[in-house]
Amino acid sequence: MVKFDAANAVSRRALMVAAAAVMLTGVPAYAQDNGLGTPEQPVEVRMIANEAFANQWQTLMVPEFNKAYPNIKVTIDGVPYVELLAKTMLDATGPTPTYDILIADDPWVPQLAEVGALADLKSAEFAGWTAADYDWADFNAAPLAAGEWKGVQYGVPLRSNMLMMFYNRALYEKAGVPEPTPALTWAEYLEQAPKLVQDTNADGKPDAWAVDTYFVREPLTPTIWQTIMNSNGGRLLDDNGKPAFNSEAGIAALETHKKLLEFAPTGAVSHGFSESLQAFRQGVVATMFNWGSVFKGSAIDPKTTTLKPEQVGIQVMPLGSTGPGAHRGIWNGTVSAKSEHKQAAWAVVQWLSSKQGEAWHSANLGVFPARKSTLASEPSEAWLKPVFAALQQAYDASEKGQMWRIRHPRSDAAQQILADEVSRAMAGQATAAEALQTAADKIEKVLN
Amino acid sequence: MTMAAERSARHSRSRTWTRLGDFASRWSFMAPAAIILGALLAYPIFYTIEISFSRFDLMTFSAVEWVGWENYAHVLDDYRFWASMKVTLIYLALALPIQIALGFGIAFLINAEWRGRAVVRALFIIPMVVAPVVAGGVFRMILDPLWGIMNYLLGLVGIGPLDWFGDPNLAMAAIVIIDTWRWTPFVVLIATAALLALPKDVFEAADIDGANWWSKLWSITLPLLVPIIAATFVVRWLGAVKMFDIALAATYGGPGGATNVINLFIYEEAFRSLRFAESAAMAVIILVLTMILTGLFLVGTRRLEDHY
Amino acid sequence: MSALATAAAGRSGRPKTGHRVRVAAGVFACVVFLFPVFWMVLTSLKDQRDIFTTPPTLFFTPTLEHYIGYMQRADITRRLINTVIVAAGAGIVSIVAGSMAGYALARIKLRGAGTIGVLILLSRGVPPIALAVPMFLVARKLGVTDQHITLILAYCTFLIPYVMWLMRGFFLALPKELEESAMIDGCSRFGAFVKIILPISLPGLLSTLIFSMILAWEELLFALVLTNRYASTIPVAIAGIAGDTVNGANWGALTAVGTITVVPVVIFALLVQKWLIQGLADGATKG
Repeated sequence: MVKFDAANAVSRRALMVAAAAVMLTGVPAYAQDNGLGTPEQPVEVRMIANEAFANQWQTLMVPEFNKAYPNIKVTIDGVPYVELLAKTMLDATGPTPTYDILIADDPWVPQLAEVGALADLKSAEFAGWTAADYDWADFNAAPLAAGEWKGVQYGVPLRSNMLMMFYNRALYEKAGVPEPTPALTWAEYLEQAPKLVQDTNADGKPDAWAVDTYFVREPLTPTIWQTIMNSNGGRLLDDNGKPAFNSEAGIAALETHKKLLEFAPTGAVSHGFSESLQAFRQGVVATMFNWGSVFKGSAIDPKTTTLKPEQVGIQVMPLGSTGPGAHRGIWNGTVSAKSEHKQAAWAVVQWLSSKQGEAWHSANLGVFPARKSTLASEPSEAWLKPVFAALQQAYDASEKGQMWRIRHPRSDAAQQILADEVSRAMAGQATAAEALQTAADKIEKVLN
Repeated sequence: MTMAAERSARHSRSRTWTRLGDFASRWSFMAPAAIILGALLAYPIFYTIEISFSRFDLMTFSAVEWVGWENYAHVLDDYRFWASMKVTLIYLALALPIQIALGFGIAFLINAEWRGRAVVRALFIIPMVVAPVVAGGVFRMILDPLWGIMNYLLGLVGIGPLDWFGDPNLAMAAIVIIDTWRWTPFVVLIATAALLALPKDVFEAADIDGANWWSKLWSITLPLLVPIIAATFVVRWLGAVKMFDIALAATYGGPGGATNVINLFIYEEAFRSLRFAESAAMAVIILVLTMILTGLFLVGTRRLEDHY
Repeated sequence: MSALATAAAGRSGRPKTGHRVRVAAGVFACVVFLFPVFWMVLTSLKDQRDIFTTPPTLFFTPTLEHYIGYMQRADITRRLINTVIVAAGAGIVSIVAGSMAGYALARIKLRGAGTIGVLILLSRGVPPIALAVPMFLVARKLGVTDQHITLILAYCTFLIPYVMWLMRGFFLALPKELEESAMIDGCSRFGAFVKIILPISLPGLLSTLIFSMILAWEELLFALVLTNRYASTIPVAIAGIAGDTVNGANWGALTAVGTITVVPVVIFALLVQKWLIQGLADGATKG
């Protein structure tokens, strides 16, 4: 009653034959690194990535990569986002990990680095494999810092994303409110918000609202509160690594985040990434705080949105007392420290993040670049121009205010605590001060 | 030795052999299941118990240092654990009775003799087959306060927009609705079978005695159905305790933890926070509680069966 | 005819109306329960921007792009095949082991078997999350991660108790003399089981097999942890579509893939539904 996958059985046999051959030739298996492969003996590199883009990379990115490196076979496995960290940890901590390339979200690099799963990309070994014109300095500081921990560079930004403000010009016009500019402050924004709750079809009930964003109980919701806090000078952790977010700035920021609910559509307290996106795309909300990567689907693609390209604007989030707000969300390409094909793995990651690779990636798959040169150059499509401009502003803002999630080996546990407490505040089950105090107490215990 | 003694000695030897053979053949029926389950579950259960008493090291994914009851103390100290237990109890108290009652009621209804009876019965399986994530997602769409068809229909009869996922009570109602939608068909199909097998002669005798519909229900139908109601309850109870994917897909455990059932909390602690030791401690606590309560149910079931 | 229907028809007064109300109520319940399924199929035919309109639309230009787009993806078709293999495999293994164990509990006098049976039933109370990680660790040590057999065995851990409990009920309903007469004629116990008991309980076996396969078909957690690529199943793909953090949940695709996964099981169930009800009728009453 046992059914085997024939292909898997064959590949296992092939592996055994290869291992035997290797042993006969006297090269110890664990030290093997057959470089970039040869036509007779191609190298196989395995990557674990977010399911959301694994298929796109496998079918579109890998063939393009193979034009430059024909002897490296890349297999990409997709895992849903919420399980990706656990699966990566499970694999990377084993004696012989399956994956050579680990695609890590922004706050995961410290955790993976601490368990010894990641290779140092600037080490002598890797420097020998890095092209001369790779130009590390060309990366914007904020995205590059996402792959760094304790002074070691473990990852390079492959998909850069920033939390930004989208706005619907038509709704602003209808309400008679001036369009947002990067000089818009939070005070002004909150002042304008009531006017943006409109009844556009004169049936007595409001059907257009001012804002929609993350409010639901999930790990990414606290990023909105955090951006407000950061742009007003608040910080998540102080220099000693102790929670500093239950300060006045933090409490005020959480109360602002909660206040947004008053101007959000019915049921917004359970809205997250998808729902706020839908609200904006249906023309139901005037502004949305969401990840920049959804711009194409919200402004350009008629199959997914009712809005026209000229209707949609994108910029950094409103100004706090110290500067505009943005939040970094970077997918890093990292190489497994225990990989047997480090050179080939680095070839893939390096190619994708190189000047040419990033330009291709951005033009063909609509991914946001991290390099200053790519952002400064003429984008492949006209509508990308304002997006690139906003993106550059966002990088500068986030670098200045350290606008990213907690960087610590236990950051995920801390983020989950923040998610729980922010959600309680949103639901009115605790005041902002109480919620943040509970979070601070718990996080202090977790981080030690 | 005399012939008789030889024969009896041979008999007793062969009787021993046949008895051994019979013993072996009888136990061989139990063997595959016991061996498979024993082999597959022994290590995982042992591992879970071990790491619940130890400090967990992510680098090797194993227990490194015996810390006694420390993890359990952490768990019992965490207000989120108790909130989650309370949520789970509310959910069980609502969902189980509704599913059993509704299931048997609908089974009675669809059992009426008519042409389409077989089709209706077959169509009823479909909700069970829809993947939990899809079911959660579809209901999220249906119950959405802004875009959902439910609020639209309710609006037509004048009931204001209900915030299904923002109001803690309505969110719990939403979870119960989705779970009931998925599992009532299971109860319906079992109940249909049970109703079909009810003996006709008792009812005919009651009819002759002039009994009306209500007294027939109470004195005959229900008592005869008690064993199957109890068995379905136990099976559903074991399944309902494990529910977490519906809550995850529909309400994310919100608002503010109002639908954070215990298995969802265990999942979050393990996979999101990577706190495997605490998560294992919770799993052990839940296992023990489930075993005790199931034991009580089984004893109670036996008593009810004997009574009727 | 069911006893209750006979009773209803035989009553003097207004039997027909009461009966009609009952039938109508039954059909109404069916419609209510199938509405979300209808909504799911409807959504799968809509463009993304038609899904979240206020008010919800029933009239729109339908599109098959979600179906075509997803069915063309190699990983979706591979996952669909894997799900079929794993569900069938787990269903068959659990039926064989579970029905044998259920038979042992029902018909064979064994001291201690009852305790083992209760323990097996209680094993269903273990939170699956607790089992997934250690199972993965063992599978990795044995080198069998990402293979169908691993997933099949993992599913058996929660299917076998379920099968055993149900089949025990079916076997209890059979008259005791059945296999005794065969064994007196020289048949072995196992032979009697296979040649006599099983054919008679075929309806019960089939219905239990269907429920086991349904449970295995939609299982997500073990599939996520124990497989990477070669044995990955459809529920993982569905979770990926729902949890898409880059483009937002593609509701059209989600419902399309959801509909695709419902269809095979429904067809299978419709084909065997005749035996399904009859099978449950015998087994469940002695649970």
